Amino acid sequence: MSSETSKPGVKRREFLKVVGAGSATATMIGCSSERVEKLIPYFVSPDQTVPGVSTYYASTCRECASACGIIAETRDGRTIKLEGNPDHPVNRGALCAKGQAALQGLYNPDRYRTPMVRRGGKLEKTTWDDALKIFGDKLAEARRNPGGVAFINRHQSGGFPQLLNSWLAGMGMAPALSIDPDADTTAIAANLQTFGVAWPRYDFASTRLIISFGADFLDGWGASVPQQLDFADARARGANAPRFIYVGARRSLTGLNADDWIPAKPGSELAIVQMLSGASTPQQAAQASGVDVARLTALQTEFAAAKPALVLAAGGGPNGMELCLAANALNGTSGAVSIADAYRGFEGIDPVSHIRALGQRMQGGGVSMLMVHNVDPVYLMPKSSGFRAAMAKVPFKVSFSSIMDETSEMADLILPDNHSLESWGEAQAVTNTLSLQQPTMDPVFDTRAIADVLLAVSRTTGTPIATMPDYRSLMISRFPGGAAGLAAALPKGISSGSVQQPAGSKALPQPVAAANAGNGDFTLLVYPSPALGMGEGANKPWLQELPDPVTKIAWQTVAEIHPATARKLGVENGDHVIVETAAGKLSLPVYTYQGIREDVVAVAAGRGHADSAGRYAKAGSNAFDLLTYAEDRSGSIMLGSTRARVTKDGGHSRLVTTEGSARQHGRGIAQAVVVGQLGGTHEASGSEHAAEAAPQGSVSGEQKERALGEKAAAGEHGGEEGHPEFPGDASHEFLPGLRSPTAKDAQGDLGGPGTKSKEKGMYDPEHWSGMARRRWAMTIDLARCTGCSACVTACYAENNIPTVGADWQGPKVLPDRTGFGANITRSREMSWIRLERYFEGGEDGGADFETRFVPMLCQHCGNAPCEPVCPVYATYHAPDGLNVQVYNRCVGTRYCSNNCPYKVRYFNWFGYGEPARAQYAFPEPLNWQLNPDVTVRGKGVMEKCTFCVQRIREAENRAALEHRGVEPDEFTVACAEACPSRAITFGDAADERWTVAKLVNDERAYHVFEELNTYTAVVYLKKVNHPGAMTTSPVAAPEVH
Amino acid sequence: MATMARPSRVKDEPRRPNIASADIQLPAVRDYEQVDREISATLHPTVAWFIGLGVAILFLIIGAAAWMYQIYTGLGVAGYNPPVMWGVYIITFVFWVGIGHAGTLISAILYLFRAGFRTTIYRCAEAMTVFAVMTAGLFPILHLGRPWKFFWLIPYPNWRYIWPQFKSPLVWDVFAILTYLTVSSTFLYIGLIPDIATLRDREKNPVRRRIFGVLSLGWRNSDREWRHFARAYLFLAAFSTPLVLSVHSVVSFDFAMALTPGWHTTIFPPYFVAGAIFSGIGMVFTIIIPLRKWFGLKHYVTINHLDAAAKLCLFTSLVVGCAYMTEWFVAWFSGNEFEKNFFANRIWGQWWWASAILYTCNMVLPLTLFKQSWRRNPTWLFILSFFINLGMWFERFVIVVPSLSHEFEPWQWAGYSPTWVDFAILAGSFGWFSMWFLLFIKQLPVIAISEVKEIVPPKLRQTHDHGIDSAGRHLEFEPSTPGEAD
Amino acid sequence: MIKQRKWFAIPGFLTLAAAAAILSAYAGASSSQGNSPAQPVPFPHPMHVQTLKMNCVYCHFSANKSPDPGLPAMSTCMGCHTVVGTSKPGVQKLASFASKNQPVPWVRIHKVPEYVHFPHMRHVNAGVSCQTCHGNVQNMAQVSQQNSLNMGWCVNCHVGRSNPPFKARYDCATCHY
Repeated sequence: MSSETSKPGVKRREFLKVVGAGSATATMIGCSSERVEKLIPYFVSPDQTVPGVSTYYASTCRECASACGIIAETRDGRTIKLEGNPDHPVNRGALCAKGQAALQGLYNPDRYRTPMVRRGGKLEKTTWDDALKIFGDKLAEARRNPGGVAFINRHQSGGFPQLLNSWLAGMGMAPALSIDPDADTTAIAANLQTFGVAWPRYDFASTRLIISFGADFLDGWGASVPQQLDFADARARGANAPRFIYVGARRSLTGLNADDWIPAKPGSELAIVQMLSGASTPQQAAQASGVDVARLTALQTEFAAAKPALVLAAGGGPNGMELCLAANALNGTSGAVSIADAYRGFEGIDPVSHIRALGQRMQGGGVSMLMVHNVDPVYLMPKSSGFRAAMAKVPFKVSFSSIMDETSEMADLILPDNHSLESWGEAQAVTNTLSLQQPTMDPVFDTRAIADVLLAVSRTTGTPIATMPDYRSLMISRFPGGAAGLAAALPKGISSGSVQQPAGSKALPQPVAAANAGNGDFTLLVYPSPALGMGEGANKPWLQELPDPVTKIAWQTVAEIHPATARKLGVENGDHVIVETAAGKLSLPVYTYQGIREDVVAVAAGRGHADSAGRYAKAGSNAFDLLTYAEDRSGSIMLGSTRARVTKDGGHSRLVTTEGSARQHGRGIAQAVVVGQLGGTHEASGSEHAAEAAPQGSVSGEQKERALGEKAAAGEHGGEEGHPEFPGDASHEFLPGLRSPTAKDAQGDLGGPGTKSKEKGMYDPEHWSGMARRRWAMTIDLARCTGCSACVTACYAENNIPTVGADWQGPKVLPDRTGFGANITRSREMSWIRLERYFEGGEDGGADFETRFVPMLCQHCGNAPCEPVCPVYATYHAPDGLNVQVYNRCVGTRYCSNNCPYKVRYFNWFGYGEPARAQYAFPEPLNWQLNPDVTVRGKGVMEKCTFCVQRIREAENRAALEHRGVEPDEFTVACAEACPSRAITFGDAADERWTVAKLVNDERAYHVFEELNTYTAVVYLKKVNHPGAMTTSPVAAPEVH
Repeated sequence: MATMARPSRVKDEPRRPNIASADIQLPAVRDYEQVDREISATLHPTVAWFIGLGVAILFLIIGAAAWMYQIYTGLGVAGYNPPVMWGVYIITFVFWVGIGHAGTLISAILYLFRAGFRTTIYRCAEAMTVFAVMTAGLFPILHLGRPWKFFWLIPYPNWRYIWPQFKSPLVWDVFAILTYLTVSSTFLYIGLIPDIATLRDREKNPVRRRIFGVLSLGWRNSDREWRHFARAYLFLAAFSTPLVLSVHSVVSFDFAMALTPGWHTTIFPPYFVAGAIFSGIGMVFTIIIPLRKWFGLKHYVTINHLDAAAKLCLFTSLVVGCAYMTEWFVAWFSGNEFEKNFFANRIWGQWWWASAILYTCNMVLPLTLFKQSWRRNPTWLFILSFFINLGMWFERFVIVVPSLSHEFEPWQWAGYSPTWVDFAILAGSFGWFSMWFLLFIKQLPVIAISEVKEIVPPKLRQTHDHGIDSAGRHLEFEPSTPGEAD
Repeated sequence: MIKQRKWFAIPGFLTLAAAAAILSAYAGASSSQGNSPAQPVPFPHPMHVQTLKMNCVYCHFSANKSPDPGLPAMSTCMGCHTVVGTSKPGVQKLASFASKNQPVPWVRIHKVPEYVHFPHMRHVNAGVSCQTCHGNVQNMAQVSQQNSLNMGWCVNCHVGRSNPPFKARYDCATCHY
């Protein structure tokens, strides 16, 4: 991060307009020197920005309530990348996939570009003056009956809700509903009741045992980024790490990270919690939950033994409130819940029952004017709640939505809000810490910040709520030290202080129990998709294309059922089944998943929006259509209580999945070690001993001494001299550490002492450029990796990777390969880094299986199979250890990919980067996000992970400008920077001062397919397993052949 | 030139004709004049020929259109399904290169071995070689992501200090194919010179006469020309013989040099060469059997010749079958899990049907040729040749697709299904090949006039209504050739 | 015999010529070298550089600290030209743009393809003069592209064949990524 400046440049917008087709849309199609191009200068040169050099603005992510700090990289007036803010107390430099994808909300082609007003039944563009006048008049009318006005606001902490409510109060209207579809309002209500805070910080590291009752704290349940950081830190503590048991009907991403899974009947979690609290016996719990007694007894004893233990529970079930309260009660005694540094952003969220009640009022005609801001209740409220019909009854509906959705489609007036990256604000991150939000660029379209609109309107309607012209000056006026203080604080992105949140506890409407839970021998489980949440992400191609961490499905909605259930129904993957509930029925393709109970069918929420919600959002089908509307005691909607019938349907559609085989077939790609084996020796990946010795967590002495012998042979570095004599020998035990600290091996004798310097060229370690003295390398710690896939989206953002799943991008050459994800059904996804999810054990479909996530990317082999086969030198080995792909030299023989054992090379089957084409992946203005430092690949060339070579070059350039060398850990690659579990480390392995140089010699280090002699630069650290008394699944590495 | 064996009386049944000596006999050909007349008679276009040519060109147009569509839209319109990055195009490339080999084998190697039965079929086979290589040469370009940059594979001086990667088998391919095309077309042309001269002398049309004149390089049938011709022909035969082995070995390196399971084997070069010759002979049957029927050349391409070629076919089939079994054995014997797993998948996995076609067509069906009556039955040979072509195409399919779809990384295992674009271009390649061949057979003699003359008795002063053997003894005129049913 | 040779000599030569033409066209020999378009406002470099002794970096302000050399903002021009040379037609044209708050749409001359990354500051700080690549702009009444800017031309320096020889990387990924 070179410079962090606070003040957004002047008139960058004009610059953008004219230079929109400039270097950022750089594509390698031909040599464009013939085309007449215009060079448009700034009118007034913006201070503090240098053309071609990035400026970094600290701001706040508003994609969820956690209020993570972000740093927006801005180049020539465009925000091109978001990173986590390292100084921020919440996310400490990490950023999840949703946060990364905020950029595609900013540049979304389906945003409203001007205010819209409904004339003659359809929405028309209009001017702000016109729109504001209409709004003012309507408000004036509405004020005669202020009771008939309702405002639904997207929940956000900070000063805005206060402003909004005082604005409403000024006109005698009721305070706004503050809705966050992703927040677990049941848990929040319980937390407020137990701890007095909405969302405490869970201190995973201090615990010995974590038990989660459906609480998916890694995939969107609460503050998932900091929770993931804490969890990964805790689990990386080797022998001191807590064991993790997941209880629930479906094994979510969080569940897959658990050591054990107890598949309890949906809604029966409470019984088990009561057992733990001693209120009931294992027998009773087993009775209720359908889990065998032995397992529950083991759980009880382990829980009793483990001090402190942390019990987490999520709402959504029929008795969610009771469950959460009971779980909190169990924690009350342990010190594992930290109230002091609670996440304050979750305060003041209203449960969905308020919207339902409002719907009933609208149905009765009691509402004359409805205002909605960035919430999509028409999509969120299940059909069975009848909200859409009720809303149609409202005479005048105003939407402040910045992007098309089902609700704004019904609106009479649309006053598009700025995106959060275009507007001012602040968020309450943690106690007494404000996370500041500033515009990172001028508005892309003709939109206005809602706060400024309210202020303006309040003046015209004669009820001024503040003297300030806009929200920024309001912030300054509130800020200690005024403008100067704010300017000083902005670069850090945080400041001390807090903003009074309006009390979220409005009178809770009487909850409605399930009118008709329906019947049928299945329970329908609707869960928020880890990537798309409750649907806000559906219009962002990055998130649609991101394979679900668990099912690996993209662009598609599937019905997840257990393989045994599928056999009973006589269906296989992709065959359609009809899921029918009292609320409705859907015909969905089947995905068989053994991490789910046999009597449960699970459907991910978030997809299947109406056509009006934009070109990407309509992929898949809408799970809410199946939900019978019901609320628990906290007023939150029940997601897991609907009964469903599942019957076979005729059709079949190919699953849009990136999954090939979910089993490793003993190939040792994802290796693991039992915690007991850590220290002293590393487990023998190749030998049967390990497989037997593993579960006991002990290592046979003979094995130990062999390992030690190897170590001795290996010498300190575990480098060349220690390399096995017969690398292909399957019985050989490989050694940790990077095989080739420099590129020597790849270049044969070129680097060796034998050859003359002029023959060595830049491969000469003595060459002035010193390139051959470097070895860019990476370690990936599988004990930390949770499979959340944030790295994937970060890579898309950094490297201009096209999304290929939109229905107009597919190859229309086979009838069954069209529609959304058509390219992906042909495995043509382009993600340079992918999360491979391998199951170990449980081949019988049982619950006892282990999951290993492996981020797989170009291994930058020191001895790369792809290099010698390329006929035109388009891929070759750079002296600094990079396996380089020269796009403009590539002719597209694809031989390199055939010869790549890791299959990490991706081919441009279509002109994804060419605006003229149907398959264009960056429709205006998505292309504004393209990274100018990275070539947009053209049709017919191969591409792959470059180790972010553009960042390496930038660091080198910066160092050269400052007349110094590149400092250790001075920069890192996009995936490592984003990773919310800090699993990825990048650096120069040939320089001992870099962190990676130490990590490659870790006792858990191994290379994938080392027996192929590829000398990879990516070193994996084995996963660490914590088997329990009941764990039967294989916990050591599979046999490597 | 070649010494003639004693003619065997076909009439006396008890004595089976000794194929080895009888195969070079053309009892039904009486004199040179008849040879000139009958063979040059085949050059007159017929309606059927025009129809055939039209169909061929239609297929070519379809293929060309599909290719243009693919170039414009991108390779995605073809059936590629990563990790299967090579598909129908590479399969068809290897297929056509293979076809070529039989031609050179028959015309060059068998010439050196003095195998007389080649005399009447080698011209067809040689032409087939040239056109097959012309067809094969298209595919490496056709399957490129950016075909307009194909010339980067050719080493040419440039001021960017960039050369091709000479370690890459694909560059070796470029050299192999170009060499093969040059040598085989030269060989074909040299062999044609005396025949073109013959045509020139018989030609009435002044323009064609002029063209033939140029092409015959002013051949005057002098002893000196014949002496030099024989030398040059012998030399070229010797020169192209190693190519039969080298070219397809190089092609096999495209696979053998990769570490993909199923590709990374040392037996590929001999295995590919045998397969190539096998497929080539299959194609020779496909072409020559209809030709001899339509052109009424049964008494030139006698059943004995077919019989001998069938033996060669049988032999190569056995070699290929042996190679298949060696592959299985090595996969099992190596103890390499990747290999074992791969071969299990090849035979019992998702591609079992492809393997089944391959093994049936290439190993099982040719065994029928052990029986002489089948060998001497042109109808059966014709049908069998189709199975052989099919089987050899699927051999390449089984080598390319299952290997790639089932590699080291289980997460990336996938399937493959070609699209209409693949098939259109495949059909186009047959159209392209057929077009050239059809044009050839109506412009130039499909049977080497000069060489046939070498094995018919010297011409006497006046023509007789019956044949005369080398010793000048009178033979009964035999309208049909011995041993043939129809 | 002699007469007949031309029969295949002529087409032979034709094909050779065609092949050579195609190859040279493909081989990257194409370039916009010599391109000298008329600019919307005639900017006299000689006047500013030679007569007024202005440094290149005065207007191209980021050439020594960024990959992008930087174009002078309109405010930079008008800083002087609100008072200086207001009588000149060119300056009046400039002023008319400025009065309409429009930037001048300069026509781009020097351009490398988008798959080439050319960091100006590395070259400038290495002592490569602007003229090495851009020619003697200070003498050009109307700027024209003096060098081909083709890869071969770049590499020539990078491999140390220039005079004086520069030390520069010639690894592909130095510029292509």
